[in-house]
Amino acid sequence: MVKRKYGIAILGFLFLLSMLLSACNNETADPTEEEKEDPVGQEETEEEPEDTDETEEEATNDSPQMGGTLTGAMDTAPAGVFNPIFYQEAYEANILDFTHEALVSQNESLEFEANLAKDWTINDDHTEITLTLEEGVTWHDGEPFTADDVVYTYKAIASPGYIEAGGVRTEYANKLVGYEAFNSGETNEFEGVVAEDDYTVTFKFTEPNVTILKDVSFSIIPEHIFGDIPIADIPSHSATLDPGAVIGTGPFKFQDMLEREQYVLAKHADYWKGEPYLDQIVWRIVDQSVMLGLLENGEIDFISDPNGVPAADFETVAALDHIEIIEQTDFGYQLMGYKINHRTDADVDSGTLNQDNWVANEDMSEQLVRQAMAYAIDRQAIVDNLLYGHGSVINAPIAQQFWAYDEDAVTAYSYDPDQANALLDEAGYVDTNGDGYRETPDGEEWVVNLNYPTGNQLREASAPILAQFLEAVGIKIDLRQPKEMSAYVEDLTNDNSDWDLYLIGWSLGSGDPDPSGLWKSGAAYNFSRWNNPESDQLIEEAMQAPDAFDQSYREEKYSEWQSVFSEDLPALLLYAQNKIYGFHERLNGVNPMPYRFINDPHLWWVSQ
Amino acid sequence: MYKYIIRRILIFIPMLFALTIIVFGMAQLAPGDALTGVSLSDPNIDPEVYEIQREAYGLNDPIPVQYFRWISSVAQGDLGNSLVFNGRSVAELIQARLANTVYLGLFSLAITIIVAIPIGIYSARRPYSLLDYSATGFGFIGLAIPNFFFGLIAIYVLSIKLGWFPAQGTLSTPGMTGMEAFIDRIHHMILPGITLGLAGTATYMRYMRSEVLDVLGSDYIRTARAKGMSESNILYKHTLRNALIPIITLMGFEIGVLLSGAVITEQVFQYPGLGTLFLSSVTNRDYPVVMAIAMILGILILVGNLLADIFYSIIDPRIRYD
Repeated sequence: MVKRKYGIAILGFLFLLSMLLSACNNETADPTEEEKEDPVGQEETEEEPEDTDETEEEATNDSPQMGGTLTGAMDTAPAGVFNPIFYQEAYEANILDFTHEALVSQNESLEFEANLAKDWTINDDHTEITLTLEEGVTWHDGEPFTADDVVYTYKAIASPGYIEAGGVRTEYANKLVGYEAFNSGETNEFEGVVAEDDYTVTFKFTEPNVTILKDVSFSIIPEHIFGDIPIADIPSHSATLDPGAVIGTGPFKFQDMLEREQYVLAKHADYWKGEPYLDQIVWRIVDQSVMLGLLENGEIDFISDPNGVPAADFETVAALDHIEIIEQTDFGYQLMGYKINHRTDADVDSGTLNQDNWVANEDMSEQLVRQAMAYAIDRQAIVDNLLYGHGSVINAPIAQQFWAYDEDAVTAYSYDPDQANALLDEAGYVDTNGDGYRETPDGEEWVVNLNYPTGNQLREASAPILAQFLEAVGIKIDLRQPKEMSAYVEDLTNDNSDWDLYLIGWSLGSGDPDPSGLWKSGAAYNFSRWNNPESDQLIEEAMQAPDAFDQSYREEKYSEWQSVFSEDLPALLLYAQNKIYGFHERLNGVNPMPYRFINDPHLWWVSQ
Repeated sequence: MYKYIIRRILIFIPMLFALTIIVFGMAQLAPGDALTGVSLSDPNIDPEVYEIQREAYGLNDPIPVQYFRWISSVAQGDLGNSLVFNGRSVAELIQARLANTVYLGLFSLAITIIVAIPIGIYSARRPYSLLDYSATGFGFIGLAIPNFFFGLIAIYVLSIKLGWFPAQGTLSTPGMTGMEAFIDRIHHMILPGITLGLAGTATYMRYMRSEVLDVLGSDYIRTARAKGMSESNILYKHTLRNALIPIITLMGFEIGVLLSGAVITEQVFQYPGLGTLFLSSVTNRDYPVVMAIAMILGILILVGNLLADIFYSIIDPRIRYD
């Protein structure tokens, strides 16, 4: 009898292990995009273009009313770090977008305009920017906002131990004068940002800075709260974690929370742009599968970033009388990359990224083959059927919303299997043994492997479709088992392997179109290991002072670069998804920016 | 008896120790680490940043070194800091969720017992009656319906359409206290509790029915009847005690299952418990959290089995440990 109990304990133990194992296999690692439809729906959805204007009109029809509570829903809880310099997820951004502000922010056409800074002057060689701050801005606790807060924020990001404490935003500080010396602990003085007086602040950069306004657009945190706290303690400090203690200048303050369930924002009555109309905004964490039901019965009022309404549910939501929809293109895209080069074992072991050591990946390094594959895939059909038409086919790896995107500079690669066949024939890949699949020019069997991660269900669903399109032009595809994201990224990075094709998605920032982080040959995220000197040179030239201070010059360079990209084709861009925001008609004053739903929430009001 | 309990508890220690080594080793063998998942979230972030953090968190150290560091801090009562939740303490992360999970687990177990045992007994006493057939039918349906599906149907009908129960979470508004909060909590637990307890209810009912039937047909019950003992005496004094033994075995096992197996229910109802945290920590490679939860579940399963053993001897005096 007693012996048997051990059996049970062991059983329990095995159960635990099996949980662990199965969890390893089939859970999502990136919670940012969730879609749950298979690509069967054939019906055409009529395009509903951005109807921002329409809602704005309505807002002006009758006058705004004070008061009311608004409830928004997101499908995953924020990790709980409500501090602009330490947060990492879009879910926290949903709260910080209400509570914190930056000196400058972007408008509809992605130009930077005044926010906490009302005015600025940039010196001739773009190494210094002096900003005049708004006076009369108060923090949520009543303290005045001054230049010292700005200095402190950038100093915190530049300080030694910031990265070790979990910070990742060094890109905003590392171009400033004295960053190296301050960050290494050589000196306690940081010269990069200087408060001239209470309401004037100057940023000094070591080199002429083309993206100077983007670099000063970081959200400001209060010096009087964090000033005396060692940087390592900030992430676990109450002012980072706890409602009531999180202090910003934004129109709403973080008042209360039920962790992982509800996050309550209350209006900041002394908000400098005017008292917000709404009393409260509540974020509720709601499972994706229940969200639409709650939107329908009025328990929640809006669904916005990061995931919005799934494309598959667009029709359902559009059919609800009391729900309005705004659809706009997302920043970012999904792609099928070609592993043009692989790294050597030695380089992977030592973590070296040196394009001179790279080994060409046979077949994938053949430009004609890459182009042929592009012609073989009907991307429009993928958008129509997988995304239900709520997305677009793009041909350049720059978000369409940017001034830098140039549709005319690129080859469209519209679906053309004949062209694909012709290109493959030209490259010498023909079916010599009559098995229906092409052989390599050397007459050997040719199998191309396609690797993809789990986590984004649309992307998962697209993999077998891509394989089919490619097989249709006689390319034998080895569709590999999908891998869970963390494991996939490791294999994608350590590419001393046999990988040929890979799927990945990028969400891009709205700040600047510079593609160097993804496509320059030395870039870690250049997973294609694309090595093209012409591309590298164009990317560099586009950021080269002083020519690059002129946007039209950059436009020209990016347009050239896009045509190089499109011809050499290190990756086939599959689609850019649309963001679909749904909100209750009683909500007025909504005016989303191209990059986010939350904009001027102090002007939101509800009709009662 | 006490000697037995102490001996069992002493055996826990090497078992837990072995558990930590295996779980730690397996977690480390999985490719990627806590930073690989986030490293693609924003291409503007220099990957060098993650390299510095890896070094700072000690993720580049050999596995035995990492294990030793972890076990020595646990021995000092420090469960460490999460790698994913920006360094928040593991103990703090688990605390709130553990309470939620325990409430839900006990609540659903209570529903299970209150529903399953009386129906099981009734079915056994009146086999092939209308109630017996409906209970059997319900039992099979309960076993066959997947948790998440039942949960979604329940939310759709009872919560969205009829508005009787809240659909998500554990409380209506933050900051509720006292009796009001208690009632609100129960109100929130009803749907997830039923969903979680559904399969258990069906199982227990079937077990109870067959055990009672089995015992009722045994020789000593016939003897009791022959000497003229009343039916209720037979049922409560002789039958139930004997019929409960397998149920207790099940329950001892169930404690662990209730706590770790609630992942899907927790997800559907957005009920923040241990299950969802465990799952997300495994996918995020957040070892400190994974290890802490594995330890807690391990302890609970061991304790559950020990409790079951102790209950045997209380219910059935013939079982003696020494």
